[in-house]
Parts: sequence; structure tokens; C-alpha cells
Amino acid sequence: MRALALAAFGALVIFQGQARADDASSWREIETKYIFGFTTGSGIGLEGEKEFTVESIGRFGKRDGHYAASETKYEFEFTPSQFIQIEFGALGSTHNISGVTDLDDRRQVALAGAFAEFRYLAIERTSNNPLAVTLAVEPTIRRIDETGGERIRNFELETVINADLELLRNRLYAGFNLLYEPEVTKTPAGETERESKFGGSAALSVRVAPNVVLGGEVWYLRHYDAISLTNFTGDAVMLGPTLYVQFTPKMFMTAAWNAQVWGREIGNPLSLNLAEFQRNRAKLKFAYEF
Amino acid sequence: MPEQIGTTTMKAIAIASVALGLMGPLATPSRAQQATEVQLTYAKGQFQPAEISAPADKPIAIRVKNLDAKAMEFESKSLRVEKVVAAGSEGVVNVRPLKPGRYEFYDDFNEKARGALVVQ
Repeated sequence: MRALALAAFGALVIFQGQARADDASSWREIETKYIFGFTTGSGIGLEGEKEFTVESIGRFGKRDGHYAASETKYEFEFTPSQFIQIEFGALGSTHNISGVTDLDDRRQVALAGAFAEFRYLAIERTSNNPLAVTLAVEPTIRRIDETGGERIRNFELETVINADLELLRNRLYAGFNLLYEPEVTKTPAGETERESKFGGSAALSVRVAPNVVLGGEVWYLRHYDAISLTNFTGDAVMLGPTLYVQFTPKMFMTAAWNAQVWGREIGNPLSLNLAEFQRNRAKLKFAYEF
Repeated sequence: MPEQIGTTTMKAIAIASVALGLMGPLATPSRAQQATEVQLTYAKGQFQPAEISAPADKPIAIRVKNLDAKAMEFESKSLRVEKVVAAGSEGVVNVRPLKPGRYEFYDDFNEKARGALVVQ
């Protein structure tokens, strides 16, 4: 984590030197959707644009034992109008778990489910208004549990407000997400569990070169054993650096790393919330537009 | 129970569908209004004129005539449109009614070709 932060800071210093020589006002505008890491920007693409992306999110570290899990989205997205973006795809997952309390030991790769996402641009940025806001809903169906990897039936409905501000033209951006994510799971034992997450994020990203954006983000997440935001079970703060690189006009990647820096579990005096969240999470996404 | 999950799933899908349905009327530029047509020429790797203008709050149709011997792609992040125009042909880019401001565009195949639509 410290090494990553140092690397990001080093890259920032190097790119800032280069960026000072450039005039950011001459740069092309940038799509903000993917420049904030786990925080999603307001961008919805261009009307008629299609994109194929592969996005992996890895989760690492529980209270004890060894825990590494990932979920990968194989995603097609398109923008049918100047206000709507639609995405859908399949989910793959991996789990490598041993010696973790309350989780079975497991090494597996599986087709985990499917998802769709609908995004609506509610407030658009103009040269006179730096704020843009998009509303998004993402229904997801899983046959493999995200955390433990066992066979389940799970339905999740992620609803998010994605907002961003252009603080300095073509140069500095702030992003904000507000998240509500209810889900219902039928366990292998036949029980039905309801839970939800609620939280938000703030991110700051600086465009250090026309094709490179570096930044940092912080997330605050709360977990409930009910979809109605009752039965609070714990919360956590995740913090980390972000990176976005545009390789060609039609191809880019984004990466982010978040570490849990604070957390609590109700009824557990130990620090951090490692029951509902993880010590670290990482995101890596590649996209090709056509 | 599976029935409970099914019911919850259906309810959630229904809520999402209603929400998107409500967005529908807002989602596309008004076609009822007459679009303001703006002419734009692409020649020798440059837009001519480099700055065009149009009235606010009315749909806009930008007619792009490509006089060059190779294709170009009219693209704009702020207009949220892209269109490939073949060599020696023309294409129309339909844009929603816009608020006053400056909207940049460029040829995605040519880093140096830039222009702007000024909406007043």
C-alpha cells in the first residue's frame, strides 16, 4: 500500500513536470466515468458508441487465514441516446480461501452470474456549469456468493448517484458517489437473507498528461442485515490511489487500490470491519470502444 | 424461499422499469421542434469554419461535408455524439437542444482538427 502510494506520488511529480509544459486548455475533453477508481463519474459515452470492457475487482484479507477473491465483469455497453447508457454482461469469480473463520476453505473458478446497468444523465456539464450528475441502477443475479464462493441464489440492486465537478478545465476533477445496494440471498441451507449497503465516496483526480489521470478516493460504507437500512452491523472507511490511462482514442485502462483504514463490527471490539468488508480491494479495467 | 426471491426480483425489476420509463421522455432530443441546420466543411484536415454557432434550446443538425480523400470522425464529448463521414461525402449529426455555452468538437482520426459550436 505504502509502495503504491509512493509510486503514485512519484508518477504525479514526474507527470506534473511534463504537464506544466503543456497547455491543458488545448487538450481534448475527457470522459469522466472511469477516472475516479471505484468511484464512478457521470459520463455516459457518446450517442451510438459501443464498448467492450473487462473489469476485475479483487478482495484480499480477512481477520485470519488466507483470503483472496475476485469478480470479473465481461461487459458490453452502448449509448442509444444523448442521455441514456445501457450495459450488460456476465460475471466470473475466483475464490482462494483457507483458514478463515466462518468461511469454508475453497479454491474455485466459476461463472458467477449476470448483470445489467441503466444510466441516465440527469444534469449535464456545460462550459458554464461544471457539475454533472448521472443516476444508475444495476440489477445483478449471482449463483456464487461474492464473499464465500458457495452456491447460492442472490439478487442485488445497486442504485448509485454519480456526480462530478470539473474544478480546473481539462485538469482537475472531483467525483462523488452515493450508494444504496439492497440484496436478497437464498443460502444452501434454504434460508433467505436480506442485507444492504449504504455509503458514499469522494475522489479527486488530476489529469497530469492528456492521456493520464492520477488521483485518490475515500469510501465510507455501512452494512445492514436488512434491506430497509435497519439492523446496522458495521461500517468501514476505504482509502487509496487511482489511475486512468488512455492508450489510444478507442482504448483505455483504469486501476485503483483501496485499503481499509478504519472500521468496526458491532459486537466485536477489534479494529476494522473484516466480516462484511476486506482489508484491501483492487480494481483493474480494460476497455475498447468501437 | 425461491418464491420470496422471485417476488423481490420482480418488484425490483418493476421499480427499475418504471424509473426508466419515467426517464424515457427526457431521454431523447425533441423531434417535434424544427432542428436548426448548421453547415460545416472538413477540408485539408481542418474544420471550416473552426467555430460555428446555433441558438440555445433548439435541436441542432450539423451537416458535415468531408471534402478530403480519407474518412473523418466528427466527435465531441460535450455534445456526446460521434459520426464517421466517408471521404468525399457528407453526414448529419443530430444534437439535442443545448444550453448556452461552448461545445468543442474534433476529428477523432486527426489530432489537429479542432472546432467549437457556440450556443447562445
